[in-house]
Amino acid sequence: MTIPDLPDVAGYSLDGETYTIESDENRDLCESLGVAPDPEGKAHPIYYYIATQVAMGETVAGLCNVCAFDIEDGPMMGGSNPSFNAPLMVGEPYQVRGQIDSIVRKESRKLGIMDIMTYTLHLDRLNGERMCSATNSWIFPRGQKNED
Amino acid sequence: MKIEIGAELPAYRIESVSPETMKVWAPILRDPNPIHLDREVVKAKGLGERLINQGPINVAYVMDMLMRNFPQGRIVSMTNRFVDNVYEDDAVEATATVTGVEQAGDETRVSCDFALKADERSVVISGTAVVAVPNT
Repeated sequence: MTIPDLPDVAGYSLDGETYTIESDENRDLCESLGVAPDPEGKAHPIYYYIATQVAMGETVAGLCNVCAFDIEDGPMMGGSNPSFNAPLMVGEPYQVRGQIDSIVRKESRKLGIMDIMTYTLHLDRLNGERMCSATNSWIFPRGQKNED
Repeated sequence: MKIEIGAELPAYRIESVSPETMKVWAPILRDPNPIHLDREVVKAKGLGERLINQGPINVAYVMDMLMRNFPQGRIVSMTNRFVDNVYEDDAVEATATVTGVEQAGDETRVSCDFALKADERSVVISGTAVVAVPNT
């Protein structure tokens, strides 16, 4: 495996599309977890992740590609840190905004060279009010130095 | 249960992680990755013989544990560190210990450390959470 230079991606825009949590989909998701959908229209809070990820304007494969990483080489989620200003609601359109915050290269005994990419995504109401933000990190294993 | 620092919240246990749940979530996540859907692909990739649960489902288990303990509350924030995979048929359990209790206006903010553990491999997610609970 050839290890590319650390890509210069900090600041890359992830301003995406609007995303609406559909009632039927929320119900299916809740039922798959064995929980009842909220009768007052609150969506399952995991939609912080689903909505931002689906509507950030890049697929996971595309995001990997931006970072010069082939999704077939096995990216790994390192972490996901949401914060909520209010519950997410079914039926309300949210605008996804965000950017890549940083990418750093590290070396581990287990994975060899790896890049850790951190990005932050927001869900905003259409009036601009921020409902939640999430900072996620992905790990891109690059292999061992001597594999060239 | 009295909410005070050091209190252990009642655990939430999933006796068997279901492939059917992975099937439901794949289109919702727009994630067609076959490691969640096709055991032959999992084998071919050298990742074992069982389907791998989508990471957000594991986070949802933790969220459900928090909401079961605080049904009137709302999650304010979480940190999730992904340590290992969860596989189909795994038994997993979400646990939490209260680390802080603060009054904030008309609500109480409860901080806790949590873990999602698989019976076969111990911790798969570790992290922290803050839940806001309305004062009654």
